[in-house]
Amino acid sequence: MTIPAIIRLEMKKTFFAKRGLWIYLLALAPVALFFVHSMVELRMHGVRQEMARKSLRPLTERDFASISGGMSRADVIAQLGNPPVTSSRTRRVRTGRRAFESISIETFRYSDGNNELTIRLENGVVAGVGRVSGIGLGQDTYVFAGVFQFFFIRLAIFFGCLGIFMNLFRGEMLDRTLHFYLLTPIRREVLLLGKYLAGLLAAVVIFSTSALLQIASLLYQFDSDTITHYLDQNGLSQIASYLGVTVLACIGYGSVFLAAGPLFRNPIVAAAIVLIWESINPILPALLKKFSVIYYLKSLCPVEVTLAPGMPALFALLASNPEPISRYIAIFGVLALSVVVLAASARRVRTLEINYTTD
Amino acid sequence: MTDRIVFDNVSKFYGDVLGVNRVNLSIPPGITSLVGPNGSGKTTLMNLMTGLIRPTRGSIRILDLTPDQPEQLFHLVGYCSQFDSSPKGLTGYQFVYSYLRLYGFDRAKSEELTWRAIDRVGLREAAHRKVAGYSKGMRQRIRFAQSLAHNPRVLVLDEPLNGLDPLVRAETIALFRSLAKDGCHVILSSHVLHEVDIISDQVILLSGGYVAAEGNIQGVRSEIEDHPMQILIRCDRPSALAARLFTEDHIVEIRIHKDRHGLLAKTSDPDRFYLLMNHIALDGFSVESVAPFDDDVHSVYEYLIGAEEVTR
Repeated sequence: MTIPAIIRLEMKKTFFAKRGLWIYLLALAPVALFFVHSMVELRMHGVRQEMARKSLRPLTERDFASISGGMSRADVIAQLGNPPVTSSRTRRVRTGRRAFESISIETFRYSDGNNELTIRLENGVVAGVGRVSGIGLGQDTYVFAGVFQFFFIRLAIFFGCLGIFMNLFRGEMLDRTLHFYLLTPIRREVLLLGKYLAGLLAAVVIFSTSALLQIASLLYQFDSDTITHYLDQNGLSQIASYLGVTVLACIGYGSVFLAAGPLFRNPIVAAAIVLIWESINPILPALLKKFSVIYYLKSLCPVEVTLAPGMPALFALLASNPEPISRYIAIFGVLALSVVVLAASARRVRTLEINYTTD
Repeated sequence: MTDRIVFDNVSKFYGDVLGVNRVNLSIPPGITSLVGPNGSGKTTLMNLMTGLIRPTRGSIRILDLTPDQPEQLFHLVGYCSQFDSSPKGLTGYQFVYSYLRLYGFDRAKSEELTWRAIDRVGLREAAHRKVAGYSKGMRQRIRFAQSLAHNPRVLVLDEPLNGLDPLVRAETIALFRSLAKDGCHVILSSHVLHEVDIISDQVILLSGGYVAAEGNIQGVRSEIEDHPMQILIRCDRPSALAARLFTEDHIVEIRIHKDRHGLLAKTSDPDRFYLLMNHIALDGFSVESVAPFDDDVHSVYEYLIGAEEVTR
């Protein structure tokens, strides 16, 4: 009965605190990103469909592949037909001290209804060919995996948990209201647990909703057949994994920042220390790696973000997962780490003294 | 189970800064006032009593319980701190009710206790308004209601009369008296020595983290030997009586009262003085009243802690 009473009291602070509004913005940012992406893709899809409709005959991948640099305008038209969308302009190019030459530039755009081929002709000769792939779930799920790992876990959930969980003790010390709790007949360990569960409830609701909305926004651009196919294949398990990772991230980072609350006056210091620790995880010795939340979460993400050649060093460091661990060990690892951190925090809270004048 | 609050050689240091030092107290039920200048250790003593801070040395027992037993102790203790703060966004009713639920009371009982506490501080009409919109006095009263809502046997109140208008002050003091009459400990701190004098069953005078004196105020006064006791005598012939009193060796000073209907005598031996007053009446003086003039908190405070501190 005590813990639900604590959760009820904390509800306003965790869900509706004015100083926590940025947490919602952080959670909704990737939703907005995927929604805008979907809307743009849908619009582009309509344009491509229209282009395909205007073509003399249905074009294929093979037709697109047949176009190469150096071909003449006539060759292109012979191969693909008259372009449904064209544009032209002339450009003056300096050829000598006072000599200029005008180059006629034409752009032909073709589409097979999904993909788009853009051909650039200079003075009637193909100078460049650009290919834009249309809607494809495979590519988008890969992009989603990157955003989920780099932005959602490492920034949105990380800083969101910082805002929610550090506020539970530190915020009350700043507001000079923590003593109301400490003067009630409940053990401080129970108070800690109650506050943790209240924070966890808020974090899980906010970020799981965000994750679901992100996926919904991403899938919005696809037709029902594509979505059904995705869900039938491995979509459902991917979605479940993303939600599971979200919940575990809230559990892990929540415990860390709840423990940091009574220790650090300035949340930025706590955030900086934990962020650096989490970021250098791949280069830590094997034993120390285990004292990191991201170490376990990386192995639980359903789509691996591979290291692309030319990737910036920081991203490469963040993306690398040299020693993936099994799913069960990873889940157990996050939970065990959280229990250890909460136990240490309980010890600290048991001897916590209220002396607002020095806080 | 003892009914006392016991401090056994308690010291509290904040790093190198002294909070209180070597405090030994045994506080009985009733109204006990902690009196002392700023920084004398009043709030430290209260925070120690309620477990918000831990003693560096010594031990504290409140009705035989220690602050390490919150599940039992805080059913018996209520504390209204000096901090003008309350959780954001709550109404007065929600503030009292929400914390009562943490005591394990069910919804109905919590509602009953909440209204009772709110009625005791006279805030029923404002109960459903946000605490943030209350006046300073109302905020003080709602925090007072929150601290007494669970019917504690020990009520610790840091500057409880601050910000209250005269009428509410009188009602609050009456409430303290009623609680004390029911056998509660009401421990309060105040800078208003006049009120302390009226309210308190006993006082604890603090100075620089040390207990300068404790107990019934008259008892404390009688133990101060450095300052002769002042006694006001209302009579018909003050000049003649002054001449008569000066024949006694324990009379050190006499002043005729401004209204010429009495005199103020200082004696180094109050017992002999009162014995003398019996004979005076037989000598034909018409004595209307004889009353100690400086056995109030203000005088005791001035003698023990210093005149400069009283004016702070």
